[in-house]
Amino acid sequence: MTTSMDRLAAAIHGTPCDRIPVFCNLIDQGAIEMGMKPQEYFSRGDCVAEAQLRMLAKYGHDNVWTLFYVGKEAELMGCDKIKFALDGPPNVENFVIRSWEDIPGLRVPDDIESHPSFAEGARCTAILRREVGGKVPICAYVTATMTLPAILMGMDRWMELLFLGPPELTAMLLEKCHELFVKEIRAYRRAGADVLVYSNPFGSTDMVPMNFFLERSLPWIERDIAAVGTAGIVYYCGMASMNRVISRVLERTGIGVYYLSPLDDITRGRELIAGRALTCGVINDIELIDWSPEQIEHEVERMIAAGKPGGKFLFGTGVMPAAIPEPSIRAMMNAALRFGRHEVTAS
Amino acid sequence: MLTELITQYNEALIDTDRDRALQVVHDAVARGVSPEAIVFEVVLPAMDRMITCMTVSGDASIAQHFITAQISNTVTNEMLTRFAVPSETRGRIVIGNSFGDLHALGKRIVIGCLRARMIEVVDLGLNVTAEQFVEGALEHGSPIIAISSMMVHTARGPNGCLGVRRILQERGLEDRIKVIVGGAPYRFDHTLWQTVKADAWADNAMAGARMVEDMLLGVPR
Ligand code: B12
Repeated sequence: MTTSMDRLAAAIHGTPCDRIPVFCNLIDQGAIEMGMKPQEYFSRGDCVAEAQLRMLAKYGHDNVWTLFYVGKEAELMGCDKIKFALDGPPNVENFVIRSWEDIPGLRVPDDIESHPSFAEGARCTAILRREVGGKVPICAYVTATMTLPAILMGMDRWMELLFLGPPELTAMLLEKCHELFVKEIRAYRRAGADVLVYSNPFGSTDMVPMNFFLERSLPWIERDIAAVGTAGIVYYCGMASMNRVISRVLERTGIGVYYLSPLDDITRGRELIAGRALTCGVINDIELIDWSPEQIEHEVERMIAAGKPGGKFLFGTGVMPAAIPEPSIRAMMNAALRFGRHEVTAS
Repeated sequence: MLTELITQYNEALIDTDRDRALQVVHDAVARGVSPEAIVFEVVLPAMDRMITCMTVSGDASIAQHFITAQISNTVTNEMLTRFAVPSETRGRIVIGNSFGDLHALGKRIVIGCLRARMIEVVDLGLNVTAEQFVEGALEHGSPIIAISSMMVHTARGPNGCLGVRRILQERGLEDRIKVIVGGAPYRFDHTLWQTVKADAWADNAMAGARMVEDMLLGVPR
């Protein structure tokens, strides 16, 4: 039987398979699925794994997640307060860096694998490995060096430092973030993650001007990737658009998978990638909340028609908001599985 | 002379170079360009130009919005003190992040743009409840409540704009107080502002500030 892993491999290599892979990123739905309060749910890796497996059985997509919430990375750096919500994702509440003076003292833990905040993630990964390892791609999320300061000091303070502050301090902070980045990628690989989503809104010209991207963001992307290799790495700008930078990132790093934004034109993305990597077309899951079943089907059909011809295409979602009704998730999945079928099926 | 000044100033904004932008302005003042001309012919048109850049070519990043808002606000503030005839404020509004939302950047950019347009702004802060928005507006005599949200649940939740609308309705304040919203989710769903029962929204801070000004001056949109 064809597995999700087979589909992903076929999509990456452009070889025949039964259908395109479909990634459905259900993170905020986990606590609801388990009938638990978010705070308790997110403190237990076994529950997060269980929710991923239940939702996998329910919707039939092709991936599972080890991501709890992005603020976990801030916890590794000392963040002691997360704001939980019943109807949405947790957020960093206390910033580790409150003034520029805090930067020199910031410490990356020597061993992140023994850090309590990582340990539950590792526990979750181990369970997923045991249950679906080798069959369903296990995804992990890691924030890029250039973007990580946003959750350590807040996006506004980071922009201020980056564009108006002393360059030595910025450089010092980025070195530390890079150190954490490398440790995280290695730890997730050891724990058994197959897909490593490299999240970098600062690698999108929605966030920074093109000149800045070329002079500052791109060199850090190169350094990040040179340090950890491209295996399993997915380029992702946190739902900011990337068509304007894809060619350069591809040429300079060799990253093999591009997870577009709904704001990117899929046809254009494919043209830019030109068979050199896997293109992931991403549905606008914020509009999805209010779409009718017909609208959902129509949109999925349109996206797949734009991406599938010629192969090397994956259909994906963003970080699905909790407000999306279950029937809408099913309608999206049904349409994606149906329109994603290939004429030629693997034997 | 003004044309050259405008070009140099705009280039500095595009390069997110605050020091150069301020230098260009200070040099111009030293050469005798009036503070009024700086504000009305350089600073405000530059913000409008950025709106056009964004809508026509999708060509201005958040970093440019942020730096432009900061510089515009600084320059306007500085020039206002030197106006020949003191300029009147164009009105006062309250702004905050919706309940549960701790993301300050969008709000800060909007505040910068508003102040640059000589609109007084009372910042109600982060994680503001619907009650606090309405109370704030009444206390400060603000005909407009501006709400920034970076996430779906804080934009759509009952304690966000929908809550503000409910209170305005219950207290018969809808004629007196209008609500404008913005932030990441609205940029992904252009009908969301109607779903949450706002009176208006804007895709970016520059356009948002101009819209607020129009609303304050009663210009029909
Ligand atoms: C950069 C980014 C990140 C960074 C930094 C986040 C941070 N600020 O702390 C990182 C990678 C760390 C990140 C993490 C997360 N993110 Co994020 N992120 C983004 C991204 C790419 C940009 C957000 C941003 O900061 N923009 C800068 C601000 C200034 O832009 P803006 O809000 O759009 O504001 C402009 C206009 O909208 C307008 N405006 C703003 N407010 C107002 C108000 C009024 C009245 C008006 C008129 C105009 C206006 O003016 C501004 C300037 O022109 C967006 C996607 C996107 N393309 O927008 C996702 C996004 C905001 N993130 C999202 C999510 C879910 C998260 C997480 C919660 C994920 C998780 N489960 O952990 C975490 C939260 C981290 C935390 N705080 O603890 C979602 C939110 C939607 C949702 N599902 O609820 C988004 C939309 C991505 C998506 N489509 O799924 N993120």
